[in-house]
Order: sequence, then C-alpha cells, then structure tokens
Amino acid sequence: MPVYNAPLLAIDAQETRRYAGLMKATNFDESKIEAACQDARLLAAPKGIWQVYDYDCEKQEIAAAPACLLQGDKIGAHLAGCEKVIALAATVGKAIEETVTKRFEEGQYAASVLLDAAATAAVEQVADAMEKAIRPKAAAKGYGMRWRFSPGYGDWPIEQQPELIRLTDATTIGIELSSSMMLIPRKSITAIIGLYKEDKSTPEAATIHKKGCAVCPKTDCPSRNV
Amino acid sequence: MIHIFDGAMGTMLQAGGLKPGGCPELMNVENPEVVKNIHRAYIEAGSTIIETNTFGASTLKLEHYGLADRTYELNAAAVKIAKEAAAGRAKVAGSMGPTGRFVVPLGDLEFEAAYQCFAEQAKALAEAGADYLIIETCIDIQEMRAALLAAKDTAPNVPVICQLSYSEDGRTVTGTDPQSAAIILAAMGADIIGVNCSLGPEQLVPIVRTLAENCEVPISVQPNAGMPYLENGETVFPMGPEDFGRWGTKLLEAGATYLGGCCGTTPAHIAALAQTVKNANEPERPKRPKRLWLASRSKSVCIDKDIPTRLIGERINPTGRKKLAAEIREGSFLSVKKEALNQVKAGAQLLDVNMGVGGIDQPAAMKHAVTEISQLTDAPLAIDTSDAKALEAGLRAYPGRALINSVSAEKERIAEFLPLAKKYGAAILCLPITDDGVPKTAQDRLETIRGIIKAAKENGLDDGDFLLDALVMTISADANACHEVLRTLALYREELGYPSTMGLSNISFGLPNRPLINSTFFTMCLAAGLDAPIMNPYDDSMQQALKASAALLGHDPNGLAFSKDEANLSVPKKAAVAKETILATLPAIKQAVIEGEKDDVAPLVEKAIQEGHSANEITEQALTAAMTEIGEDFGAGRMFLPQVLLSAETMRAAFNKLKELIPASANAENGTVVIATVKGDVHDLGKNITGALLANSGFKLIDLGKDVDSTDIVKAAIENNADIVGLCALMTTTMVQIDKVIADLKAAGCNAKVMVGGAAVTQEYADSAGADAYAPDGVKAVELAKGLVK
Repeated sequence: MPVYNAPLLAIDAQETRRYAGLMKATNFDESKIEAACQDARLLAAPKGIWQVYDYDCEKQEIAAAPACLLQGDKIGAHLAGCEKVIALAATVGKAIEETVTKRFEEGQYAASVLLDAAATAAVEQVADAMEKAIRPKAAAKGYGMRWRFSPGYGDWPIEQQPELIRLTDATTIGIELSSSMMLIPRKSITAIIGLYKEDKSTPEAATIHKKGCAVCPKTDCPSRNV
Repeated sequence: MIHIFDGAMGTMLQAGGLKPGGCPELMNVENPEVVKNIHRAYIEAGSTIIETNTFGASTLKLEHYGLADRTYELNAAAVKIAKEAAAGRAKVAGSMGPTGRFVVPLGDLEFEAAYQCFAEQAKALAEAGADYLIIETCIDIQEMRAALLAAKDTAPNVPVICQLSYSEDGRTVTGTDPQSAAIILAAMGADIIGVNCSLGPEQLVPIVRTLAENCEVPISVQPNAGMPYLENGETVFPMGPEDFGRWGTKLLEAGATYLGGCCGTTPAHIAALAQTVKNANEPERPKRPKRLWLASRSKSVCIDKDIPTRLIGERINPTGRKKLAAEIREGSFLSVKKEALNQVKAGAQLLDVNMGVGGIDQPAAMKHAVTEISQLTDAPLAIDTSDAKALEAGLRAYPGRALINSVSAEKERIAEFLPLAKKYGAAILCLPITDDGVPKTAQDRLETIRGIIKAAKENGLDDGDFLLDALVMTISADANACHEVLRTLALYREELGYPSTMGLSNISFGLPNRPLINSTFFTMCLAAGLDAPIMNPYDDSMQQALKASAALLGHDPNGLAFSKDEANLSVPKKAAVAKETILATLPAIKQAVIEGEKDDVAPLVEKAIQEGHSANEITEQALTAAMTEIGEDFGAGRMFLPQVLLSAETMRAAFNKLKELIPASANAENGTVVIATVKGDVHDLGKNITGALLANSGFKLIDLGKDVDSTDIVKAAIENNADIVGLCALMTTTMVQIDKVIADLKAAGCNAKVMVGGAAVTQEYADSAGADAYAPDGVKAVELAKGLVK
C-alpha cells in the first residue's frame, strides 16, 4: 500500500474560514484564524495511504479479495467508464481533536471551533496532496482521475465505511471505525477515486466539479461551497 | 559540447512484444535483440548517449514481478546490450528510476532502504561499464538524495545525472522548486542536473533556465512530446517530431546541453532534435560569483552582504532550558515544533537546531528533530552540534542543504566535520577557535578562519559554502570584546568577502539591562557587516533595532517598510480609531459582549457594581439584551458562529465576575437542561456549542457528553428534574437513537421537553420522532429553550 504523508507548510485560511461558517463575515479578526491554522500545523500528524484496484463499472464492483460491491446510484454514475479505482484514506491524527475538546472545556469556545475548522481544512489538504501525488502516476499509465467521492455523499450509504477501511488498510495509519460508522480520529477521510481511459460519466456527474457540496442535499449548510 | 539522449523506451518495447503487465527489464535477458534494436534506432537518429533499459530494475520495483533476486543480472545485461548497440558510437547511461514509494517522512520507505536499493542497482550498472548513471523522474528530493549518495558511494568515478520531474506549477509534486533542487544537488556533487517527463518542452524552458542560473554543472532536459491528453481511451502526446525538434533551440538557450526525449518521443523526434541543435552554439552560462545559498525541500535562502539581513532563530536549543531539555529527553518534540513555527512567524528565515541534552541518544534526537521540523516549515536548517554522529544523522535526514554549526579550527572538527559537509552538500559556519582556545585579536581570528577555509577547500568545499562567525566574548570580562568583534567583522568583509554571523547575547553576560546592551551592540555589528545574526526572534528590542538598521543601511530603501510599521507611527492606528463615544457602563457591557471583547468585560462589570447597578440590572439590561441582539444578528446572517462564541466567552467572563462579586446572583436561572450526544455518536462540538450558549444564557446545564446511552440520559433527566432534554446526533446512522431516547423518557414518565439538533436532523425528523423542538443551531436553541420553559 503506497503511503504519502503530505507536509502542512501552510493551512488554507480561506477554507478554514469556510468550515468555521465565516464565509460571509466581513469583520472577523484574521489573527484568530491565523493562530488556529498555525496550531493545526503544530498538532496535526498528517498521514495518507491508498491502493489501486481494478473496477467493473457495470457491476459497480471493486476487484479486491474479497470483491466489494459499491452501493448507490450516485457513486455508480460518478465512476461510469472507470476501469480502476483508487481507495484512499487520510487523517491528521488524534492530538488535534483532543486539543479542540480541551479548549472548549476551558471556555475557549471560539478558538476550539476555529481549530476544528482548521483541522478539517488540513485533512482535506492532505487528501488533495495525495491526489496530486497520485495524478502523475495515473497519467503515466494513461488514466484520467475523477474527483474523490466519500461514503455519505449522495446516496452512497456510510454503512460501506468498513469496506473502505478494508480497501485502504486505513488501520495502518491509525484510522478506526466506530460502531456507528464514524471515522476515528474524526478528522479523517476515506474516499474512492475513479480512473478512466475514456470519459463516460453522465453529463450531470461530469459537470459537478464542486466536489461534495454540489451533491449534498443540505442546502442551508454554513460551509456550503457552491 | 552538446549531447543528445535517446527518447521513450516503453512504447517501443511494447511494439517489440512486451506484454501488458510484463516486466520491461526482463526483456534484457529474454529478448535482448528487441532492446538492442531500439538502442540502434536511437543512435542512428543521432543519440550520443543512450539509456539502459533499467528504469524499473531496482530491487524494490522488480519485487512486483517476483524478480527481486535478479537485480544484478538484469542491470548488467542491460549495460551489455547498450554497449554492444553503441559499439563506440554513443555513451551508455545506466538508468535508475524511482522506487515508486515515498521516503520517510513523506512515505514509509526508510532512507537507508532507499539508499541500499539504489546502491545495489548502481553497483551492477557501474560494474557492467556504464559511462554515466542517470537518476530520473524522481518527484521526492529525499529519494533523489538517497540515490545520489548511493551512486557516489558505490561508483565514485561514474558521473551522475540527477533529473527530477516537475508539475505544471513548476514544483515537484512534493513541493521542491528547481532552484532548491539545483542548490541541493549541486552541493552534493551531482555532475549533471536536469529535468525529465511530466511536461512538454515549452513548460520545461523556464525550469531549465532556473536550474542553469543556480548551479555551474551542465543541465540536462528530456521533455515529453507535449502535454498528454486522453482520446478514445488512449494517451496522446500532441507533438510531432518537427514540433518537438524545434524546441531544441529554446532549450539550448535556456542553458541545457544534454537534450533528449521522454514519454511520447520516438527516434524521429530525436532525429529532429539532433538536426536542430547540430550546428548550434553552446549556451553561454554567465559566471556568477558564488553566493551562500541554503535550502529546505521547498525554499532557498541566500545570505550575503548586499541583501537584507537574515535572521537565524536560536530557540531550538535546550541549553539552559530545563523544560525543553526534559521534553526532548522524554522523546517529545512538541515544544521543538512550536519553537520552529513561532520563530518563523516572528521573522526567522533560518532555524538553528541543537539537541544538546545530556545522556540521550544525540544522533537519534537530531534525526527526529530535523525530520519533524522539515515537515512543518520551509525555513532551511542549521545543524548545531559538536558530535559528528549527530551531525551526520541530521544531515542525512535533512531533505535540503543545511548549514553546519559549526566548524572550528580544532583538529578533530576539521577531520570529522569537513568530509561530512562535502558528502552531504552542507555549508559550514566557521568558528575561529583553535585547539589552544579563542584568538583574542581580530587579526588572529582572521588567520584562524583562513586556516579553516584552506582545510575546507582541500576537502572540496568552495566559495559559497562559508559563513564566518565573529565570535562574541563578554564585555564584563574583556573590555575590548566589542571592539574586537567589530574589527573582526570588518576584516572578514575586507579580506575574505564571505558573509558573517554571530551569537549576540553573550556580549552582555553579567550586566544589568541586557536587552539594551544587546540591541545597541546589534546595531553596531550590523553597521560593521553582520549578515545573519543567530538570535532570539521574539526579542522585540532586537527586532526593532533590526528594522531601524535596515532603513539606515539601505536594505529597506528610504525606510519605506519602516514607515508602514504600525509600531513606529506616533499615533498608533488602533488608538486613532478608538471609540469616539464613551458609553455608559451598561451599554458598554452590552457592546463588549456583542463584540466579544472578553478582556474588557470583567472590569466593566466591576465598574457597574461600583456604580450601584444590581446583578439583575446587569444581567437583564446588558447581558441578556446583548444575547437577544446577537440572536437576531445571527439569524439575519449578520453575525457568524465564531463571533457568537466570542460573545459567549465574554458572557461567561461577565457571569464569572458577577458571581465573584455577588455570589447570590449565581442562582438566577431560567431552568435546567440535560444535554447529550446520543449513543454511537462521537461528534460533540455542536452539542458543546449549544451547551455553552445555554449555560451563558441563564440555564443550569448538565452535559452528559457524547456517545451517551439512553438509560443514562433518562436517569439524569429525572434525577435533576430537568426542564429540557437536549439531544444531538450528527449522522443518519445515529439519528435513530433520538427516537429511542424520546420513547424511553416517555416510558419513564419524564415530563421534560425534548429539543433535538445535529447535522443530519431536520424539522421533519424532529416532528416524526415526537420532539418538542428542533434547533438548527445553538443560537436558535437558546431562543427555543426560553420558549419551552415559559
């Protein structure tokens, strides 16, 4: 299983603002966001792992041993025409969310929420960096890459999370699953990326390039990025 | 001389019978004629250097085909084939491609394992007679360093070509820019530095230029035949031979003298390229004075006399710092990392790393610290140790060009440190100390430094590798200490011209008001020619002195930056925009809460009490009124969650002050709320936010935490005679627990109202579950809670 632990030389302040629900705020103290981003860099332990599998897009089946059948029409449409898939897992570790909790207990509510937002931005960056590292490898073999799709997006049930853990071997980078299908540490990602030689995605799926937000039904989400 | 490499090998192997999924390098023994014919085709096209069919012939790659035990055989066979094909008409370069794994800390491949893997391949290629070793298509500078070290150690007489691959943003996917790559690899002894694959010739022109500008060795380039795209399921490289060949001129002009092709190129492409450059002149590489450059994985920093002062942060040093030393001893590097980030934030451009803790494994600690810091910041590092083993551990682990702090004229240092500097491409901080001690006069220090530089040059170091320490002694012990330092700086600059450094604070040892002495001394040194002080970047007086000196010495032309610095304005901007109206105390408290000015509110509450306001008045007219306004602003999208939380913190500070001054006021409560995140759910930030807002709005809060069993919620609700039970669930998988808790509460005869919320919960769901209220956010929850207890 290839491993890539992307360095976090900076955390995107704009994304941190978004996850903190500050997209429309005009007068928020930027130094508080900066401080949260810096603390997140200090506390994050970025880790990522992935594996490439053959994929049968007719059956929505990943050729692992044993095979994994993907449930849901959205993921099926998203992976239409893909011959292979990459199963990917990323995390920024436990320490960061322990500090989020500790700060809240100490009454530093805002700092806690901002650190939580920076941690979200951080784990997304780690997964983005993995994609960036994988892309040339895929391109060298003649594959284009779909954007990453996670259990819970659209109608893909998060009950398939155990399969993602298995496909990615995520436990080796310290990701576990709770009985209610939650990733622990919370600031972790599992996802599938489709590899295609010929773009056969539906026009609907192909035009959705805003990642998860566009397919998410929660239109009143303060972090919505559409 | 202009050299022409060959082009792509893989596609031609497939045409020659390589099966999809087959091992290309196995052809070297199973179909040597196919490989040989490809070489011949390229030589006939004009290649003067051909690459062996060994790109994936490292043990780690051959493992995928179960051929790991045939590494030597496949590499040796490849060289033999290439030499036979060349028959003296072309040179043979032994190709070494990446392992396919990232080296620690980016990945899980240990540096030593990568080194062994490349050493094994390099040995086979060199023993079979390769004229060059070419390490190519690397995207991780640390893997390249491992390969280059392995090649140099195994085959010291074979020239090594180092080619990284860059993405469209001009960096490798792991963040290395061509300038840093050139600096790091040239210092380590790469004979030719270049770039191949990923991009077409047009995109590689600026990269070639940057490489050429940052080292003196020849530059190589092997582009793809343009930027590939997918068409009908095939990867298409858009450039035909003529198009491709034409770029030869531009690549030459940019500074490359070794040219060839990568993916998508054929003998026809190479023929066109060779034709273009056949009668071309070699590019001029203007000889530049060698400057001292240091580099991290992704950033280069220059230290020199004609550019602004560089600040080397000294704080990663446990000497005299018991807590830091204890942490390092226990194997924790959190404070080290914190110092790294904070110093860079405070303006340090380089970081000194010292792990001088007694009784620990120094090499292991240095390796660990260097690895952690290099993942966290792009400031280049100085490895500060007197232990040769710790130095080597640090240099080996560092994915950049480090500074060695320090090399004195002591025999042992010269003997041990200089070869390490050469091997790992590090620069050295030269310290004028001899086996007999510290030379007292400036002239003696200069002579000592001359000795160190002579020895360094004998070890292969050169101009651009030296930073000179003026050596600061204490004025309380030696009245001339300052004079000698200033004189030393002047002599260094006049006689040698290399940049200078020093640790400053020693000057004031034993004196009172050390900051004043230090900053005064600092400005004197800057004027005398100090280029890169090693100092505490948090020291405000030093920072101010540095800024003022920059303006005086012309590093900040006309004091422009100085003029914009808020600290230097006669009326600080903050004061200038201070509140025009002075509010009465209660409105001021309300205002402080709304603006989240936590530190201001307690004194205001105290003042209000002194003015005779009752606790009730303060709560009602200031605090509750503020919360109401905040609720409205939040609902209307004028205020956002983090701002509400700052207000909540301010409310909390106000309530705490009230309770402290009038303990009876603590009883003013709206009601009791039992709150919990349901069983199976571990997300509690939303629940915590709601709890905090309720607690600071006059509710008695009993927070049961996360992942709470229904039985425990019911029990707590009854025992505490709760008015409200708040339930939170974030996921669709855990939301169903809400139904269970509501049913259990009813079954137990509990009359508390139930309020629910959480990302997945909706009004509809709340209604169907039988909840009394649905709160989409914490602010709304407070409003709803007040309604529920009325």
